[in-house]
Amino acid sequence: MTAMLEVREVSKHFGSLRAVQGVSMSVAPGELRAIIGPNGAGKTTFFNMISGFFPPTAGDIVFDGEIVTRRSVTERVMRGMARTFQITEIFPELTIRENIRIGAESAAGLKLSLWRSKATAAAVEGRIDELLGLTGLTAKADRLVGELSHGDQRSAEIAMALTLRPRLLLLDEPTAGMGEQETYQIAGLIRRLHRDSNYTIVLIEHDMRVVFNLADRISVLDQGKLLADGTPAEIAADPHVQAAYLGKAEE
Amino acid sequence: MLQVVLFNVTNGLIIGAFYVLMALGLSLILNLSNVINFAHGNFLALGGYTAFVLTPYIGFWGALLVSPFITAILGLIIERLMIRHVYRRDPVYSLLLTFGLAFIIQDLCRYIFGPNGLPLGVPDAMAAPLSQSLFFITWYRVFNVTVVVLAVIALFSFLRFTRVGVRIRAGTLDLETVSVLGVNVGFLRSFNFGLGCLLAGLAGVLAGGQIGLNPNMGDDLLMPSFIAIIVGGVGSLTGTLIGGLLIGVAAAVTTVFWSSGSEAVIYIIMAVVLIIRPRGLMGEEGMLT
Amino acid sequence: MNSATTSTPVSERGGIDPRWGKLAIIWLALLTVPLWLPFLGGYTALAGRVLVLGLAAMSFNILLGFTGVMSFGHAAYFGLGAYGAGLALKYVTPSTPLALVCGTLLGGLAGGIVGAFIARRRGVYFAMATVAFGQIGFYIAYTWNDLTGGYDGLRGFVRAPIHLGFATLDITNNSTLFYYFLLAMFAGAVALQGLLLGSPFGRTLLAIRENERRARFLGIPIDWHIWLSFTISCVFTGFAGSLYALLNNFADPMAMHYSLSGEIVIMAVMGGMRSFWGPLVGAAIFVVAQDYISSMTVNWMSFVGLIFVLVVLFFPRGLLGMFQRKEAA
Repeated sequence: MTAMLEVREVSKHFGSLRAVQGVSMSVAPGELRAIIGPNGAGKTTFFNMISGFFPPTAGDIVFDGEIVTRRSVTERVMRGMARTFQITEIFPELTIRENIRIGAESAAGLKLSLWRSKATAAAVEGRIDELLGLTGLTAKADRLVGELSHGDQRSAEIAMALTLRPRLLLLDEPTAGMGEQETYQIAGLIRRLHRDSNYTIVLIEHDMRVVFNLADRISVLDQGKLLADGTPAEIAADPHVQAAYLGKAEE
Repeated sequence: MLQVVLFNVTNGLIIGAFYVLMALGLSLILNLSNVINFAHGNFLALGGYTAFVLTPYIGFWGALLVSPFITAILGLIIERLMIRHVYRRDPVYSLLLTFGLAFIIQDLCRYIFGPNGLPLGVPDAMAAPLSQSLFFITWYRVFNVTVVVLAVIALFSFLRFTRVGVRIRAGTLDLETVSVLGVNVGFLRSFNFGLGCLLAGLAGVLAGGQIGLNPNMGDDLLMPSFIAIIVGGVGSLTGTLIGGLLIGVAAAVTTVFWSSGSEAVIYIIMAVVLIIRPRGLMGEEGMLT
Repeated sequence: MNSATTSTPVSERGGIDPRWGKLAIIWLALLTVPLWLPFLGGYTALAGRVLVLGLAAMSFNILLGFTGVMSFGHAAYFGLGAYGAGLALKYVTPSTPLALVCGTLLGGLAGGIVGAFIARRRGVYFAMATVAFGQIGFYIAYTWNDLTGGYDGLRGFVRAPIHLGFATLDITNNSTLFYYFLLAMFAGAVALQGLLLGSPFGRTLLAIRENERRARFLGIPIDWHIWLSFTISCVFTGFAGSLYALLNNFADPMAMHYSLSGEIVIMAVMGGMRSFWGPLVGAAIFVVAQDYISSMTVNWMSFVGLIFVLVVLFFPRGLLGMFQRKEAA
């Protein structure tokens, strides 16, 4: 079975700064992989290369069997890679419904259209309702996204990412800056996406409860290198991982 | 023939010097604060007119020394009163602000000093030409170029070696980090704006001695300054310097073959640079300014 | 709750306003101008000026208010529209439709070309480039004396009567009729803009305005869309320019100068750049104020500058912006 995402010996150097050094990873379809590591370990840089923000200095990125290392962000998005950001990237002055509609119409190929046929409109609006239900935002659909709580904004962002029917979902610190209740909300959403809808998900997380609760496998990065890679039980028992985290305050 | 060439090259150097002086001030303000100072040409005029007011009391040399600083202070006051309020907002507002200021300052000059040209007295010794054959090179023109060269050296040294200068340079690259390190960003921006206006004021005094004073005197230098920045690369002061020199020389050289084409060639250079190297000669990729 | 039945409009906060009440008021006012304007000391040509510049400001706002892109050189396309129309009337044939087409095409073509140069740039850099390119137009207008009449402007043409087959509209001499002609042209252009901005394409532009990065990550090709928005905006601006030439029977380099560009921007901002009709309202206020002030004092430039400063410092959301829902933080 082909891996959904395969990262081969990827490195990123910024001048003399080696942000990422020879990291490899293989994510199976339907798997939920968590990437953890102390601050500054290179996790977001790693993510940026996978999603296409900038190319790696060395190594390759293979998405569902296809080498996408040099492909642009838009090309990867259209091939099924969706992403959320550490700081929620949404359209603040529009409602949730409008936010999702943009993604839905883009996915339906309507970016340049001047009108929608009744059928297309129905399909698009139906999809929006579906995503609203999935993320539990139906009641707030017509409120400005910029005015909502952190958790709702993140849920909206995830809903937007889903409009493209991605095969791979990249979540960059989805529970960043959230309190108990909201973390619970988002973790629940991610679990539903993973278990019920079978999305392949790779996420960066700092909240260990979320990580150990959701992940099928965990990859640990430290100072740009892959420290360990295994099931939650294996990682919990790994002495190197414990050493890397010792003395480093989390949360 | 040699005379014609020399004539044009000299003109080119002078024009280039003014382009550089103006463009550097504009670039300073743009790089740190993300503001296009549409009123820059008007600060130039203010510098010239201030010199006009001061010359009877402290002479040309005194005015040359003092006027740029007065212009800088005026700029600082305007920045503190008005511009600092709009930094946080959509950039369109700061542009509109300087735009409006340009109108106001120009009209103020017209109101106070009249719409006609006024002469700025230059010491007689300087009005004399270098020699009989080089009649078009007056000592004043040599003086202009010398002052600009000195000013540029002073500016770059200031930015390199003084604390404020280093902070301005750092702030240009990453304002957030600089503020986190405890630097007073508000003060830095005000100071920087004043510095830019100082350069404009200096240009105004020099230009005044050359072509006389009128409310629109800065207008002809504004567009070339923009282009010098675009050509040299947004975000790079050295780039602006090179850009200004490049278009100044190009404009002068063109005049030899195509007398009215000097302005056109500047636009052509801009277009060419935008095609083959859109970020400018020394611009950084991803300079989102 | 089925809230999205039609492809309409994003509501007030960031896009088109479908409130029929407001539309009715605006159109009622516009349609009856020749009746009430003279009582206020105005004249029909002034109203015509408001319409033309209002259209220019609305066209410009496609770029600023809806796509979030700053252009400070838009007068160039306005001026090109004026020159295109004037030149067609003067040298080709006295046909108003042709003049309009020529002007619009000239403005639109130039917009497409300039847009291609700068679509990858952003922010103030983009704005600077638009000013510089705009000045190229100004430069050509005042140096190419033979064609454009230089500083004196292009003269010697008049708007031609329109032959509709069954009737002839004498817009040349009948200024009231010409006003309604302008209004009709305005209505057509504005309807098209409304259609554009309320469509999926329009929503994509809003997305770009709101969050370019997110839009890119939803598969929207940003540079391409910005180019489109720019070009479309210039097409409409060129159209406004050609109407301007018909209004004045005259085209001059100042119609391309960056000072007019700035005025177009302030009109859009003053009226409310987040609102569809905002720029028209802004144009009305600005044009009337400018007309009044310049007849009162020779220092009208200071007052115009003052308007800029006051709007930026105290009324940034513009008149119609104040009626909209509060923006999210």
